[in-house]
Amino acid sequence: MEPFLERIAHVDMDAFFVEVERQRRPELRGKAVVVGGAGPRSVVASASYEARTRGVGSGMPIGQARRLCPHAVVVPPDHREYGRMSERVFEVIGGFTPAVEAVSVDEAFIDIAGLRLLHPSPVAVAEGIRSALRAELGLPASIGLATTKLVAKMASRDAKPDGVHIVPAGSEQEYLRPKKVRALWGVGEATYARLEELGIATVGDLAGFPRTTLVARLGESLGGHLWDLATGRDERSVTPAGEARSISVEQTYDTDITDPEVLHRELLAHADRLASRLRRAGFVAATVQLKVRYDDFTTVTRSHTFQQPVSTGRDLYHAALTLLDRTAARHRPVRLLGIGTDGLVTAADPRQLDLAPRSWDDLEEVVEELRDRFGRDAVGRARLLDDPPEFPGDE
Amino acid sequence: MRIRAERDDLVDVLSRAGRAVGVRSPMPILQGVLVSVEGRSMKVTGTDLDVTVRTELEVEVMEQGRTVMPARLATEAVRKLPAGAVVLQAEAGEIEITGGGPRFRFREFNVEDYPKIGEPDLTGAVTVEGSEFAAAIGQVSVAASTDDARPILTGVYFENEAGKLRMVTTDSYRLAVRDLPSVDAHMVGLVPVRALKELARSIGASTVRVAVGDREAAFASERGSLTARLIEGSFPNYRQLIPESYPNRVVVGRDALLEAIDRASLVAEDHIPIRMTLQKSGIELSVTRQDVGGETEHVEAEYSGEEMTIAFNSRYLNDGVGAIDAESVILDVMDPLKPGVLRGEGSDDYLYLLMPVRL
Repeated sequence: MEPFLERIAHVDMDAFFVEVERQRRPELRGKAVVVGGAGPRSVVASASYEARTRGVGSGMPIGQARRLCPHAVVVPPDHREYGRMSERVFEVIGGFTPAVEAVSVDEAFIDIAGLRLLHPSPVAVAEGIRSALRAELGLPASIGLATTKLVAKMASRDAKPDGVHIVPAGSEQEYLRPKKVRALWGVGEATYARLEELGIATVGDLAGFPRTTLVARLGESLGGHLWDLATGRDERSVTPAGEARSISVEQTYDTDITDPEVLHRELLAHADRLASRLRRAGFVAATVQLKVRYDDFTTVTRSHTFQQPVSTGRDLYHAALTLLDRTAARHRPVRLLGIGTDGLVTAADPRQLDLAPRSWDDLEEVVEELRDRFGRDAVGRARLLDDPPEFPGDE
Repeated sequence: MRIRAERDDLVDVLSRAGRAVGVRSPMPILQGVLVSVEGRSMKVTGTDLDVTVRTELEVEVMEQGRTVMPARLATEAVRKLPAGAVVLQAEAGEIEITGGGPRFRFREFNVEDYPKIGEPDLTGAVTVEGSEFAAAIGQVSVAASTDDARPILTGVYFENEAGKLRMVTTDSYRLAVRDLPSVDAHMVGLVPVRALKELARSIGASTVRVAVGDREAAFASERGSLTARLIEGSFPNYRQLIPESYPNRVVVGRDALLEAIDRASLVAEDHIPIRMTLQKSGIELSVTRQDVGGETEHVEAEYSGEEMTIAFNSRYLNDGVGAIDAESVILDVMDPLKPGVLRGEGSDDYLYLLMPVRL
């Protein structure tokens, strides 16, 4: 199996605030919409594509936007709602892989290298993410794919609206050459003016300039950095917040759990969800960690290292049960229960084979596929049903 | 209770019984060892309720009696005394340990709190040569699991093979099978590997009596006894895992292979497999670790079969080859995704099967 060359994806939500508003106010669909305050100094926070075609852009004074597009509906911003939706966007993306670096509320870099066993190509990953965002949140997103962060970010702009754009490995220079230097990171107004003095307008111009001259004019850090970017050199990797490569599932309960049987069931449900997220992210777990918060808010964690990394909910559950024995959870009311793993290993790495046929691995994979097609509740463990179905002859 | 004995003898009986004492015992009394002095002997018992070790020493008895003393503290106190005679006594809730000048005092546990533990049940016991039994334990324990989440795999399965004693372990990645052709036995049970490793450490060269009952296994020698509660559950059907025929066979010098694995392991660490390309001229062994480097070498071997490359976890391979007691090792393989089987050339009583790593 070949590794993904274009392993960096830049996800950018399309007209995020506008689309969030449209989710709760369907009458706004198809209309020119501008999200912005009502005050005299307010500016456009987000504009729908209908408004953009009339020249409205982010940061523009509302008054000017009204003049350019008189029929646009102006909606006051609701940043709490956008924050809430942003969290859900990251949840959906996080369901694919934990290797996500948030850039802003509506923008993220993703390292998709770990997903190559589950998806045939980078474009397939991007389409998967886009359709998940569309299906679960009703929001459109555009994704750029490339070998570096810079190029991926530029590609997502070319993908808009509601598309995917891939810059194949090897063609970065060619892709960058005609772009305006303004599009590069670190090129603000002041830098732009100095570059203009040098006769540099496009990335191609910049790349054609001797590095030494650029460094002499702009300094080593800025000049060198811009030249590196312009020539396609961008070594920055996707760094998830805190660099903690971990996945966890936890829940705080409305009423404390005192029944061990309920505790076991919750643990099983958590283990299933954790396994599902691991599988989608293309990881296997080398460790499992159990977190228990008692009714007095004291919190304990216990962890276990597997002899070989595991990926099934069953293995995670059994290990978590053993860890539960090392807490007082069966004797004290439990307020929060969580399991997670911080020992993530790429599933595509060489894998120690098991003597026993791994039928659970296969079974859980099939379950996952069914859930993808028919929804999360389509199939699950009998033990986790609230209302178990009655079987004929079953007393 | 009051006795006198040589320091080194005391350390031996106390520490062997003390190793059965659990570190994280829920019952404080189990942090102690029971000492009973009667006639001319001192008996020491340590237990975590799953594994119990009893040791015995002939001592100079000044006063008979029983006490429970803190296992680790008392053992270490005796160990730290100057060589020579040591006096151990329990009186009025206090343990006193003296010898060559220094005097230790420890609070005594209440002897009435110590759990009642039955005598080892040696019904139907067979006698086994101590050194042979210890070697067999060493050969199978490498493939047992230490993962408490999979209790069944932390046991050594005792059973009969054609009326002889057989011991089997698996951690689900490898399997070790050892037959003791000199031991006629009809006993079946899953004995904690932890208990057997402890037994192997203290077994010495004497003979051991071995009995695996319904709920407990008992082992006794002149140095004392060890009993272990059997692990409940059914052991995997391991026989179906052993291939019936082997189309590809390598015969290679054990020490040469071990040395090569050792060199490769320097680079491999635990999670990087060792690749073996098997060909007529021998084994091309190699390991590559991203961002670090690698190692390659040629190991002289006789190979009959199809040329192929198979990869194994370096530690699992090392454990298996190391456990074989023969000058030459036979490695049988089918294909790169099926188990490899290791045996000693000219000896049929040990087999080590390991699953490869999928590259």
